[in-house]
Amino acid sequence: MIEDLCDLSGHQIAERIRRREISATEVLDSTFARIHRVDGRSGSLEDRPPDPDEAVHVHAFLELTEELAHRQASQIDSALARGDDPGPLAGVPLAVKDIFCVQGTASTAGSRILANYRAPYSATSVERLVSAGALVVGKVNLDEFTFGSSNESSAFRPTPRNPWEPSRVPGGSSGGSAAAVAAGEAVLSLGTDTSGSIRQPAAFCGVSGLKPTYGRVSRYGLIAFASSLDCPGPIARDVTDLALALGAMSGEDRRDATAAAVPVPDYRASLDQGVRGLRIGISPDAFQLAYPDPTSGEVRTQGVDREMETAVREAVQALQAEGAEIVEGIPLSHARYAIPAYFVISRVEAASNLHRYDGVKYGHRHVGPVSDLRSLYRTTRGEGFGTQVKLRILMGMYVSAAQYEEQFYAQALRVRSLIRRDFEAAFDPHGAYRVHALLGPTTPTAAFPMNELYGDSVLMQLADLLTVPANHAGIPGLSIPCGLSAEGLPLGLQLLGPDFEEGTLFRIGRAYEKATEGEAWRAQRPKVLAG
Amino acid sequence: MTLKAVHEAVIGLETHIQLATESKIFCPCKADSWGDPPNTNICPVCSGQPGVLPVLNGKAVELAVILAAAIRADPIQTESYFARKNYFYPDLPKGYQISQYDEPLARGGALEISLPDGSMRRVRIVKLHLEEDAGKTVREARRRLIDFNRCGVPLVEMVTAPDLRTADEATHYLLRLRQLLRWLGVSEADMEKGQLRCDANVSIRPAGTETLNPKTEIKNVNSIDSVRSAIETEIERQSREVEAGRSIEAWTLDWDEEASTLRKMRSKETEADYRYFRDPDLLSLRLDPAWIAEIRSGLPELPLARRARWIEELGLPAYDAGILTEERTLADYYEAAVTAYAVRSSTRGSGGGKLISNWIINDLQRILRERGLTAGQLGLSPEGLADIVHLVETRAITGSTGKDLLEKAHTSRRRPIEIVEAEGLGRVSDDGALREAARLVIENHPDQVATYRNGKATVLGWFVGQVMRQTGGKADAQRTRQILEELLAEGPPPS
Amino acid sequence: MDGQAGRQSPTEIPLETFLHLVDLAALELTEDEAEYLRREMNAQLRAIGDLQAIQLSADTPITSHGIPYPRAVRPALRGDHAETFPHADEILAQAPESDGRYIVVPDQPGTDLE
Repeated sequence: MIEDLCDLSGHQIAERIRRREISATEVLDSTFARIHRVDGRSGSLEDRPPDPDEAVHVHAFLELTEELAHRQASQIDSALARGDDPGPLAGVPLAVKDIFCVQGTASTAGSRILANYRAPYSATSVERLVSAGALVVGKVNLDEFTFGSSNESSAFRPTPRNPWEPSRVPGGSSGGSAAAVAAGEAVLSLGTDTSGSIRQPAAFCGVSGLKPTYGRVSRYGLIAFASSLDCPGPIARDVTDLALALGAMSGEDRRDATAAAVPVPDYRASLDQGVRGLRIGISPDAFQLAYPDPTSGEVRTQGVDREMETAVREAVQALQAEGAEIVEGIPLSHARYAIPAYFVISRVEAASNLHRYDGVKYGHRHVGPVSDLRSLYRTTRGEGFGTQVKLRILMGMYVSAAQYEEQFYAQALRVRSLIRRDFEAAFDPHGAYRVHALLGPTTPTAAFPMNELYGDSVLMQLADLLTVPANHAGIPGLSIPCGLSAEGLPLGLQLLGPDFEEGTLFRIGRAYEKATEGEAWRAQRPKVLAG
Repeated sequence: MTLKAVHEAVIGLETHIQLATESKIFCPCKADSWGDPPNTNICPVCSGQPGVLPVLNGKAVELAVILAAAIRADPIQTESYFARKNYFYPDLPKGYQISQYDEPLARGGALEISLPDGSMRRVRIVKLHLEEDAGKTVREARRRLIDFNRCGVPLVEMVTAPDLRTADEATHYLLRLRQLLRWLGVSEADMEKGQLRCDANVSIRPAGTETLNPKTEIKNVNSIDSVRSAIETEIERQSREVEAGRSIEAWTLDWDEEASTLRKMRSKETEADYRYFRDPDLLSLRLDPAWIAEIRSGLPELPLARRARWIEELGLPAYDAGILTEERTLADYYEAAVTAYAVRSSTRGSGGGKLISNWIINDLQRILRERGLTAGQLGLSPEGLADIVHLVETRAITGSTGKDLLEKAHTSRRRPIEIVEAEGLGRVSDDGALREAARLVIENHPDQVATYRNGKATVLGWFVGQVMRQTGGKADAQRTRQILEELLAEGPPPS
Repeated sequence: MDGQAGRQSPTEIPLETFLHLVDLAALELTEDEAEYLRREMNAQLRAIGDLQAIQLSADTPITSHGIPYPRAVRPALRGDHAETFPHADEILAQAPESDGRYIVVPDQPGTDLE
């Protein structure tokens, strides 16, 4: 079988382009050929009856930017011809989650209310990836305004499917990103993670994803969901590509007052240092889920799937064999409050962030006569927002109303301190545990079937149980594949580290990749690529 | 206008002050859009595009702290926060206003105002906070036109305690505030350009009681005159309502400047519905206590203090001191001129104070008014003015030469002394020259000579005037009179 | 607001409150939507009920961003330099209705006082 350029890793592509063995244009041709083969119909607002064709395609993309990508590719090729350095991501095809503004593209957030919006500017993270040589091949689907964990809430249908099993969800909200990378439709994707929206779909689709430390990557141009939790981050096929992408995206930005003034290390340089001397912590709370029962509100506990636990335990052994010191029994006892605190904080911030969609300046406006301005707002927003968005707005308004603010919002922000303290205690270099990272499953289960949870907002949120504590604490989290379930669905493990220690997570992830290079599951390919 | 003596008004003002920055508070668009076509001075940030973030302008913070220090706010907080005030309004593109709320930049302080009757009134300041301005709405019959140019202009909101009692006091407060803002360079405070705006909270109560009744809030009062009219109109309305046995409801009223009427605005969300919470896009605003102390100690002498000092040290009348402290460059000009004059006249202080004041108030201010200048823009330096006054006082030039010199020196930007020398404007007191001029006048006007000699002594004044004219006003009037008397007495009788 | 009610853990959102929120949020809802939203809000309310039960010491600080922002990592405030955004016309071009360079919306009438 002839190798498809679009199936190479980003670092392999960039190296071969820089050695002028292949051209950026050839990489693009291969990528668009793949997209045309596997993606099927792009999501749209049209109301069409389900089509059997949907079940065998990925439907990751909302818009292809072939012209833009080709322009960027010829810039790379001519830079090389001049002898200039085209950047560490030279010629790497990039799919941008449609929650980022990219000048001149439709930037929809997966919502009807922004369906006709064309951004007049570009997000900082997109600009930085492009100036490192990445080629923007298109915008990919997502949960509407990123509100979801299955990608089923997008206003643009059909919604993306899991390339490994198209009857399953790709996860969300960066479902289009993870699915596109898994299916070879992009080598790199830019996603966002507010409660697990990079890590969970990466795990479901068998690819790697990083939620950086809050403040590591500028949020400018990321259409906000929950501003104190949102993190832009990369999704790729291996840890090396994540390291390259993070290096390109990170750092201070004069357009984001929360982008921290922390120097950006050379993540790639430390990648292959191995795990000898590193202490990796395991928490029983990462395998035992505590969550409020959706009907009674009582706290229930349940273990993660057995297959999941087995795969993660094997990964622990592999790392131990590579020289890591394993520290068991790290308590993360406040993690169980992460979902209720998230329900409060994210909704308050979301309700406010969504106030600007009023039909005045851009996006959807109700067509037809209205009695007054107020009714223009009501009809515009009533038509423009999907049900899950309305739910978040109303809940946010309820818990931030003056009489409940202290009871809910302020309380949730204090609980956030407790969640963070658990991690601080684990990572404290002078504390009892002194671990460099925590390891556990990314998700409680593998990808679930489409339509199984959609509509039940509480059950859906539980898909993020293991990922959301890191968002509350602001710390970085990496998800990498660690095997396949008996049904052939990807399983992912999650590594969490101290603030701005993404480099350590990459080191561990890379050591695990090397240790398991020969494993049979690594040779498996997603179902949509078969035949 | 006539409030029945049984009621008194209780007035508090919320002023919005545009800070004199180059750029907006959260984005780099220029702050001043005066005269620009609508929606030209906008960017993704201030027009509320999806995905944008605010980044705080350091200069806006500095100017706000200077103002806080000037009103002796305590504390100026070393950590304050920005919140989001959520509501729908078409000129509020984000659907929320970023404003400091529960932890403002500063609390407390006061603005002392001098009332026309000479009394002083201390108006307490409750809080002072930073916020962004909204855009502009033009109303038409069935629609509104929106311009975002003004969105994101840096504002300080300064809220007074309900310490004002009449519409007059409210206008005086605004005049004093405007004076202070310009004095400090914190704001140009031009009400016509919306750089100083005012919402007035008005209630009435039986005179002599301490109750606080429901108040109405009047918005959009954008000139000193409309502050007076809007408050007077509202006090009258409330009095009528109360006398008719109706109660006052806490409405928000809109002042229509053209129609001079109040209009009730749609009942907006109540304070509880704004759902304030700290803006996660901005970190807390942390100020170094040493920096705050530096600003406090580096404040210029404020108008009231300077006024008091001049009354005390220079014996200046309160009226003069008031006028001269109206504007910072004028006050500085006056101060410099007095100092320079003291050096020239080798007298200390008091003598020159009133003298220089007279020259400025009577003559120099006319030049300023006619040309729309501030004292800082004069071509005549304070030292030059001191020179002119000194020349007049030492009788080296005449008073009328001195006045002409003001104009000449301002226009030519040359030193007055140089002009006097170059143009020979020195007072003519040399007998020979005066005698020659007098002889000519007498020779050329035999009729007037006859009248004089026939006993009409008052014609002498006319002869003096003629000599003055001949000498370009430089003649020493006293000496001219003596010479004329002498010549007219000795001359041959008329033929 | 009523201090007593403030401390109790509400278990269900009253219809009146729900309708007020819908009005504040400026959302026109179908009946089915309204019913679904109320049901899900009540379910979420039960899920967050757990939060109220947590006993926190009075000095538990609020964590607003997860990571702390000590002086060393805080970006400097913006310098006061004006720049012109070159694509103001693209911003204006997004407006659903405009007249010249103004963005147009329907009026919201007020009431004149005599």
